[in-house]
Amino acid sequence: MIKRIIFGLILCVAIAACSSSDDGNNGNNGDGFNRTELLTNLADNIIIPAFQDLGVKLSAMDVARANFVNSQTQTNLDALSAAWLEAYSVWQHVELFNIGEAEDVNTTSDDRGFVRFFNIYPVSETEIDGYAASGTYDLTSVLVDQGFPAFDYLIHGIATGDATALDKFTTHTNASGYMTYMTDVMSRMLSLNNQILNDWQNTYKDQFISATENGLNGSFNKIANDFIFAYEKGFRAQKVGTPAGVFSAGQTFPDRVEAFYKGDVSKTLALESLTALENFFVGRAYNGSTTGSSLRTYLQFLDSDDIVTAIQSQFTAVRTSINGLGNNFSNEIENNNTQVLTTYEVMQAMVPLIKVDMRQALDFAIDFQDSDGD
Amino acid sequence: MKKLALSLFVIGSLFTSCSSDDDGGNPNQVVAPATYEFLRNGQTTISFTGQTQRIEMAEEIISALKNTSFTEAQIDGMFNNTGDNFSDAELNAATTKKVRSKTAASFDFFGGSANISNLADFDGWIAEQVNDVYPEWGNAASAGNAGFINEGVAQDGSTRYVNAKGLELNQAFNKSLIGAMMADQMLNNYISEGLLSGFTEANDNGTLVEGKNYTDMEHDWDEAYGYLFGTASSVSNPLLDIGEGLGGSDSFLNKYLDRVNDDPDFNGIAQDIYDALKLGRAAIVEKNYDVRNEQAEIIREKVSQVIGVRGVYYLQSAKNAFLNGDNGSAFHDLSEGYGFIYSLQFTRQPNSNSAYFTKAEVDAFLADLLEGNGFWDIASDTTILDTISTAIANRFGNFTVAQAAP
Repeated sequence: MIKRIIFGLILCVAIAACSSSDDGNNGNNGDGFNRTELLTNLADNIIIPAFQDLGVKLSAMDVARANFVNSQTQTNLDALSAAWLEAYSVWQHVELFNIGEAEDVNTTSDDRGFVRFFNIYPVSETEIDGYAASGTYDLTSVLVDQGFPAFDYLIHGIATGDATALDKFTTHTNASGYMTYMTDVMSRMLSLNNQILNDWQNTYKDQFISATENGLNGSFNKIANDFIFAYEKGFRAQKVGTPAGVFSAGQTFPDRVEAFYKGDVSKTLALESLTALENFFVGRAYNGSTTGSSLRTYLQFLDSDDIVTAIQSQFTAVRTSINGLGNNFSNEIENNNTQVLTTYEVMQAMVPLIKVDMRQALDFAIDFQDSDGD
Repeated sequence: MKKLALSLFVIGSLFTSCSSDDDGGNPNQVVAPATYEFLRNGQTTISFTGQTQRIEMAEEIISALKNTSFTEAQIDGMFNNTGDNFSDAELNAATTKKVRSKTAASFDFFGGSANISNLADFDGWIAEQVNDVYPEWGNAASAGNAGFINEGVAQDGSTRYVNAKGLELNQAFNKSLIGAMMADQMLNNYISEGLLSGFTEANDNGTLVEGKNYTDMEHDWDEAYGYLFGTASSVSNPLLDIGEGLGGSDSFLNKYLDRVNDDPDFNGIAQDIYDALKLGRAAIVEKNYDVRNEQAEIIREKVSQVIGVRGVYYLQSAKNAFLNGDNGSAFHDLSEGYGFIYSLQFTRQPNSNSAYFTKAEVDAFLADLLEGNGFWDIASDTTILDTISTAIANRFGNFTVAQAAP
């Protein structure tokens, strides 16, 4: 009798051990980590507050723009420049979130999503001068000469034949054309951000949080890829690698830095972008310092503390290295490119940590590939 | 008692059936074809023209590095495929392929973009060869001076051209590229679980690359194959070029697989690598990724071993030549060894994300070899050659210095 009971117990244990391997989908990946909690933290505490703040800063920028349209003084232009920089800094915190409506607003075949309309640089001066002259353009099309870089040229750049940036809006033959173009670019930025924010608040948030499945369409898979892509492309390559000649056999492009026309803020923006990436990794709330469920806690949950340590010390090394550069990356590339390349190498050293070690530990699929294949 | 025995039997079989679910798949479920030949609807699914072209480009580059009529700009242009400097027009503007962008650029080690400090090494060798060695082509080399040196105790053998430290820069470039491009792309990129992860769904669904007869994952695996066998006389049976007196099909990884395979201590290694590539590719067709990954680890171990063995081989060969007073041959061996040591940073320890030696460790070995007057100094004290040989063999653990030595 006792033997039978023992046998029965063993059988139960065996069956239980067997079935526990396929425990269905309770907001996790079968690894026990609660992905729902992670996605909720990202949406509620980071993504939506960042888009909200961008909306606030874009509105302030629009007020400064209106003041300048009413009175084209250098003081008003400076105020607009200051508002532009504030909004541009907040933009660094949303650039990563190329998902949902932000991804869908771009119907071209590139993989940049809304970034295409907010932060592709350099812009073409010739094109923008042409739009000011002709008044013919469609910002809702594939046009990339819009967003923050277009503003940078408009309010800081000097058009051919002019002496100052202000001349564009006062003495230039096409002054009213420049003004209209600027206003249209502003409207486009405001409306795109509203569209994306509304979608998050009204429909996409629930969809984002509930898509806990594995595979390329799962939210975790997408957002983890967005993080890697933002680090590799928007941060490492665009801000430093491309202008410093890393991808062009050493030929440098000092005019391809972020905020080229303003000049002295490329370091500020790079550091802001770094902060945004680091905050995302540790799940730090946009408004405040509380950290929550994130890539970091996911790694810790899976006992990959060594990877967390490596990534966090690399973030620190990147910050130290960028801090060692001057404010104006364009000048740095022209006069001190060896140090810029050293910074690039420190930035690059993060890529295998997040793209290989972290990816392997969290077991998600990379959904973008280097285009220079074959 | 019978009941108990029966019960135990039942329990036993229960556990067996339970554990067999998660044992990483049964390799027997995938059967490799006799040769590397894969078809879909009667047409081949194999393609690696990009790899063949890059090997051909690399061949032209190492030739140019021994031809003083080339300028630095021309050789730089060949490395980056700009300016139409290849003699084979197919390799010029007709193709978008470049050697440079695939140098130290694997997914696993570098996130897929070329590492600039490694590129600086390759760029530096080109520049030094053209600017410092070419002008001394007609002068005898000596400690601290670039020039030519003849092999042979009587200095009647092949003429080699070395820099001020005795290093042949064309050899440094050639052998280092074996690690930085061929091995790195093969071991750390195209068979990487991380790189291939993005193609799992497409491969599971049989989704073909637009306009092609292969899935992305199939193609990636073929590209790994191409870096080793891309110039073989037979795509499906590249081992026809490997064997005593055959010499392989190129001047890079294939050639040295042939050399190592010719050593009785390592005979069969070419077959092992070929078999693993073949079974891994069949596993992709069968959507069995555990078997695929197991083959990847075999390929990593064996191809890495080729580089480790060859590094030790040349160090030991150089030691013997120095003992005979044949500096010319010793410098030539050391120059080849230098490149194989450089290549160690791109090897891959199986079941890890690491090379057998880090870049820092490799740089330290290379600095030791070039200290002071470089190879000229080693001629009078060869201790360093044994020190490095032993360090390499110990780290690999799957061969001894004696086995690797000539």
